[in-house]
Amino acid sequence: MMEHLPVLVILLPLCGILLCPLLSWIRASWGKRAVMCGLLGALICAVMQLAQVVQSGEAIHYWMGGWMPPFGIEFVIDGVNGVVVVLVSVISFLTALYSSPFQPHDRQKWFQTAGYYVLVGFLAVGLLGMASTGDAFNLYVFMEITALSGYGLIAIGEEKGPIAAFRYLMTGTIGASMYLLGVGFLYAATGTLNMADLAHRLSGLADSPLVILSAGCLIVGFGIKMALFPLHGWQPAAHSYAHPAADPMIAGIMIKVPAYGMLRFFFCVFRETSPVMQLFFDCIGVMAVCGILFGSLKALRYDTYNKILAYSSIGQVGYIALGFSIGNFYGIVGAVLHILSHACMKTGLFYTSGALKYRYGIHVTDEMGQIYRKMPQTAVTMVVCALSMIGLPPFAGFFSKWYLALGAIENGQYFYVAVLILSSLLSAIYFFRILEKLFMNPETAKEMPVIPTEEMSEESRPLSGGRLELPWQMLIPLAAVALAVVGLGLFNSALVNDVLRAAVEEVFLG
Amino acid sequence: MMDRKSKIKTAGLVLVILLAIAGGMKVGSFLPVIGAHETPANIYLSNYYIENAMEHTHAANIVTAVLADYRGFDTLFETCVLFLSGVGTLMILFSKAKVKDKTLLKKQQEEPAEPGEKILREETVGSYGGSILDAAFRIIMPIVMVYAIYVLFHGELSLGGGFQAGALLACAYLIDRIVPSFESRMGEIKEENMLIVAGIGTFLYAFTGILPMFFGGNFLEYGKLPFGRLVQGGAAGLHAAGILMIEIGVTVCVMAVIMTILEVVLERTDFDDD
Repeated sequence: MMEHLPVLVILLPLCGILLCPLLSWIRASWGKRAVMCGLLGALICAVMQLAQVVQSGEAIHYWMGGWMPPFGIEFVIDGVNGVVVVLVSVISFLTALYSSPFQPHDRQKWFQTAGYYVLVGFLAVGLLGMASTGDAFNLYVFMEITALSGYGLIAIGEEKGPIAAFRYLMTGTIGASMYLLGVGFLYAATGTLNMADLAHRLSGLADSPLVILSAGCLIVGFGIKMALFPLHGWQPAAHSYAHPAADPMIAGIMIKVPAYGMLRFFFCVFRETSPVMQLFFDCIGVMAVCGILFGSLKALRYDTYNKILAYSSIGQVGYIALGFSIGNFYGIVGAVLHILSHACMKTGLFYTSGALKYRYGIHVTDEMGQIYRKMPQTAVTMVVCALSMIGLPPFAGFFSKWYLALGAIENGQYFYVAVLILSSLLSAIYFFRILEKLFMNPETAKEMPVIPTEEMSEESRPLSGGRLELPWQMLIPLAAVALAVVGLGLFNSALVNDVLRAAVEEVFLG
Repeated sequence: MMDRKSKIKTAGLVLVILLAIAGGMKVGSFLPVIGAHETPANIYLSNYYIENAMEHTHAANIVTAVLADYRGFDTLFETCVLFLSGVGTLMILFSKAKVKDKTLLKKQQEEPAEPGEKILREETVGSYGGSILDAAFRIIMPIVMVYAIYVLFHGELSLGGGFQAGALLACAYLIDRIVPSFESRMGEIKEENMLIVAGIGTFLYAFTGILPMFFGGNFLEYGKLPFGRLVQGGAAGLHAAGILMIEIGVTVCVMAVIMTILEVVLERTDFDDD
């Protein structure tokens, strides 16, 4: 089964999802267990395939249906997307685990749990597929899967969820159409859909108007999906009102994998076509700088925890795009590292947001005073992720920004360095405002009524020292993400030198 | 009355749309002429499919060969998109009260006492039937279903296949759902149960792909399916069998999803305007 690893990553969760309604009908908890087992299997396979890639130093190619690449669809796993696949599977599995206390325990509502897990599972499958595929149209199909499950998860969220979902539906459909249009133009110009083959056949077509048009369409398409600055309109509402349990996944990885897709498309497919790449560098650089400043400034204005995090995401996606626009080795490594570290940090922060909503129904930062006494683990994760978002040294966020700055200095783009420093200061302001509320506010949390939940009625005894920690299904993801943020920071040089370096130099810059 | 600001906004939007149309016309001149022979899209991959599809898959219709075999992986996830749309609709709408529950509630509020009173459901379901329609739909329904099966199996030869067949089967149910008056309806289904069926249908597709993996093939490599003795024509015959299996899976999924969405929406739509 070793040679099937790339497709098993998709198939194991897929089988769990498709049988989830049937299994939940038989017994309410079996469906969600099936999805979780599938995601755990995907995680194991993803780690194994990454180990295989790193050991052999070669990309894995998997031909669907045994058809040779330009004629059939292939999955290509190299060092970079191997890492992204591991990231997506880790966060999907943790989120599936995290979601389980949020589900109704009513036997009659089995399909509500089943439906929720189907949506989460498909979100994971779509993202895994987008990261693995080597076929431009196949990427579109997975993009649709991701988007549809995203609409569902946003719409079943809070009160304003349906409106946010509708707005995302409109914008996201435009994004997907732009992507499809771009791929269509490329197909008209080359007659193929396989990415490697596209790159090969585009090398003679550098100044064909079709190719330039398609590059424009792809920038808009990916830009909408990753919520890059002028195209971010759907994002703040969607991230604020989505289902609190699925929000970590939506905010953490749903906007990162399209960013990876943009990297793959522009640095693999358009690599040989210099006018297009020049257009891309200029365009994306302006968008990135505006986005970084806009997101950071806008985040200062809000008091709602989710809104702050959502606007800060716009800024952080800007960093990733900045890495693309720097475009040398350090720039790309910084962008990839920032995809990883920001996914972990933002997921962690949204886990804490979900935990506060779960226990106290807290939405606004003013209500968070002294919450660390009640929920120490939540507070630890929040502090670690917030410090990492600001970019303090031992944490992951510092090193990705460091690589970005190295790349910018190597290219002589000192303006970008200034933007990086300025926005770090801005994010320090808004994150310290949250932390100040958390630690300095007088005890507001004491007055907050605790929302009664299932697992509390089982053990209704008051926990020691007035602590009211979360159920273990939520604690494990919180701890894992905090550890990942620290680990990514401490072992970043190993990750860069042993895993990413070969792939980035060969695939993206070769 | 529009104020100045929204006037400017509207004018800006119109300008953008006009620019987009003008741009679109300009783009048209860059694109290859439809049907032109020497364009990359027509000479590169297409030739391979035209020359080999029949030999590889025994599918007389090349579109079916590309859709279900060469790019069967895409079609698997297109089917998943449909399943997902059914799940999404159910999840978003299920919290909204059904019409019959709403009417029951209203009744109970108006006349609280009188236990055991049966509320007739005719009042709650919009029905347009008459005796002629009641008789006619029974004749039409089986014909639609037979036609659906025909479309499913004929997909390999001409236009058709799983998606269309599933839609037709759902149409047969739709006829039963909306045409007859209440007494003559043939059955009622719960939307959650149709979701289970949709999941199983899509799983049938995925399973057809997984089976060859145990016999030394890749995912979806129908040529390695283990029914070599049942099918004539060697590997190509197996490919045809695989295409048929996935088309059946697609049919079940599409039928069940359309029925789910119909049920979910119809049960929550009040046809009476009052």
